[in-house]
Amino acid sequence: MVSVSRASRRDLLKLTALGAASTLAGPSIVRAAPKPLTMMHESSFIPPYDAHFKTKMAAAYEKATGTKINYEIVSVGSLLTRVTTAAENGTGPDMTQIGFNWAFLFNEKFVDVSDIADEIGKESGGWYPSAQEAVVVGGKWKAIPFGNIGQLMNWRTDWFKQAGYEKFPETWDELLEAGIKLKKQGHPFGFELGHGFGDNHGWLYPLLWSYGAREVEADGKTIVIDSDETARAVDYCRRLYKETMLEDCLGWTDVNNNKAFLSEQISCTNNAESILWAAKKDFPEMAKVIDQSPNPKGPKGSFAMLNPLCHAIFTHTPDHKAAKDFLRWVMKPEQCGPWLDIAVTYYQPFLHKYDDAPMWNVEPKNKPYRDTLKDAHLPGWPAPLSRAQSETIAKYVVVDMFAKACAGKSTKDVIAEAKAQLVQIYKTA
Amino acid sequence: MTAESLASVAAHRRPAFSLGRWLERGGVFAWLMVLPPVLFLVALVGYPFFYGIWLSLLNRPVAATGTFVGLDNYINAWNDPVFWQVVLNTFVYTAVATVLKMVGGLGLALVMNQDFRFKNLTRALLLLPFIVPTVLSTIAWQWILDPAFSVVNWTLVATGLVEKPGPSWLGNPHLAMASLIVVNVWRGLPFYAITLLAGLQTISPELYEAATIDGAGTWGKFRYVTLPLMKPVIFIVTMFSVIFTFADFQLIYVLTKGGPANATHVFATYAFDIAMGGGQFGQGAAIALTMVPPLALLILAMAIYLRPSKS
Repeated sequence: MVSVSRASRRDLLKLTALGAASTLAGPSIVRAAPKPLTMMHESSFIPPYDAHFKTKMAAAYEKATGTKINYEIVSVGSLLTRVTTAAENGTGPDMTQIGFNWAFLFNEKFVDVSDIADEIGKESGGWYPSAQEAVVVGGKWKAIPFGNIGQLMNWRTDWFKQAGYEKFPETWDELLEAGIKLKKQGHPFGFELGHGFGDNHGWLYPLLWSYGAREVEADGKTIVIDSDETARAVDYCRRLYKETMLEDCLGWTDVNNNKAFLSEQISCTNNAESILWAAKKDFPEMAKVIDQSPNPKGPKGSFAMLNPLCHAIFTHTPDHKAAKDFLRWVMKPEQCGPWLDIAVTYYQPFLHKYDDAPMWNVEPKNKPYRDTLKDAHLPGWPAPLSRAQSETIAKYVVVDMFAKACAGKSTKDVIAEAKAQLVQIYKTA
Repeated sequence: MTAESLASVAAHRRPAFSLGRWLERGGVFAWLMVLPPVLFLVALVGYPFFYGIWLSLLNRPVAATGTFVGLDNYINAWNDPVFWQVVLNTFVYTAVATVLKMVGGLGLALVMNQDFRFKNLTRALLLLPFIVPTVLSTIAWQWILDPAFSVVNWTLVATGLVEKPGPSWLGNPHLAMASLIVVNVWRGLPFYAITLLAGLQTISPELYEAATIDGAGTWGKFRYVTLPLMKPVIFIVTMFSVIFTFADFQLIYVLTKGGPANATHVFATYAFDIAMGGGQFGQGAAIALTMVPPLALLILAMAIYLRPSKS
């Protein structure tokens, strides 16, 4: 409130000054230039995507409305720190990219955008329900999801063929079998089990869910990690690690599996579309023998992790309407379409209008990422969004449960430790 | 007393107040000189420190108001098994790295204190690991420690000592800690070496001559001349190094982020993950503050040690 009144006073002063100036200069229409808006984004893996926003879209918006858009890029991995600083201090960018459950974490600091979310949905064929899982807090949309960075199986068709596999294995058990053969042939698997931020959760949560296990019930209170289903998933993971992978996977962060895949050290990993994207750019021959497939099925089916990127407006921004107008404009098909096209489905849109967009035919191998959007979930699912969910991720409870088992601890012990941590986290958070 | 009475006499003689004279008074001038650094410390060290203590007593999630919970965050940390692993990791990391840096640094300083060709150039090059920003040099280490690209693994495999792909430096929990210690020692050694070298150069050559006359050999000269005279310098460098190593963050965060399975998490990385990643400022502050008592003890030890040498 204070900032709004302060801003309007400043506006008034500006108007007066401009008015005075124009009186001196001669008769002309007096209009204050709209305030510039700043949008903060994490540096994209696909540089032209940032460049398109920064130069083309921002310039087009300024031309159309007079509002200048500053596009501020922050380095990979530091977005949360920047969002935290801006939200805590009530200064900084007007709008930001967010991910995971941040709409919940920063609920009080983000503007309700339900009205434009509704309009966008109607205009572009409706939202995928998974989009709402991440941004609807207390019945209100706190951000506009613009794309999911899906995590699926990346594999070498040539090496799998040599081992007798024309298609990617459909179940975890078949994957283990294939992995044993491939490792013997000198082509081990490599799935991240260390303290990264995406490629570890990207396959370990789907593995856990596909065995029917979960950390906490849908009530967000009852801890159910200590189950036979979890034990089976942990036992499976230990075998997959020991019998198919490189020892180094335990210490990997998100860059390692890309490096290992592109340097032909591994035949299969779980990743976003970035490996294929980089291979097409730098190793076109290898790109021909890379394919991407859905995560294998467990006893309860196949799952995928939701990794939604969204735009949110900080409450500290003086003119909420101006920021909403901009987000609304960005999500119009004329803008959003070409913008998403640049990244060629690296960001999978949550709007059904794009289900059969031409970008899916540019690289048909990317289609599985679209198909998993409908049943992708955030870590912590099926519990609702919570602070405990963030703490669980920050403490790597699930990742480390699997990693400790791979490093040699007993299934019973690792589950007991994870349970103890979850009990404490869900009690205090 | 004397200064005060003189000042009062001066004041009697000159009733008109003179700012210049007032400023020149010992008490006033001293405070004026001390004030900027004191304000600086209060603003940049004191305020964050006390704010940190306050935060650690709150349940304070990000972007929300906090509620006072007393010592709950500390009790939670006490009951958290990962916290105890972090404590152990930090002590192992600090102790081993500091001892290696001390022994290695002293050795390096002794070598650098000799006369040889390109002495100055070598001394300058020695500082490189210390000068290069930690994050950059650590990224280079990231490649060295990746078995697929590692020059170490390549050498080991080429010489037939191990089978391909060789040791997993960051994947094996024990090797990961050892690798981080090696990188820390590599980076911290020049600080030790240069500081100790400066200490060595203050030792008068006459003492060595006297020792030689007394029949001391190389070891004897080191044991009875160099070491006793170097003791204060070694002590201070070690204290500084312990403080830096104990609170290390960048190196570990770039290489392992505390993994695999928390095998390399230390206070700073764990507190950062909980506060910034998990959005639990209170808990993060409590974990960061548990670093204070051991460090305070060290600083106290340093203060006690330094006192007699002053008098």
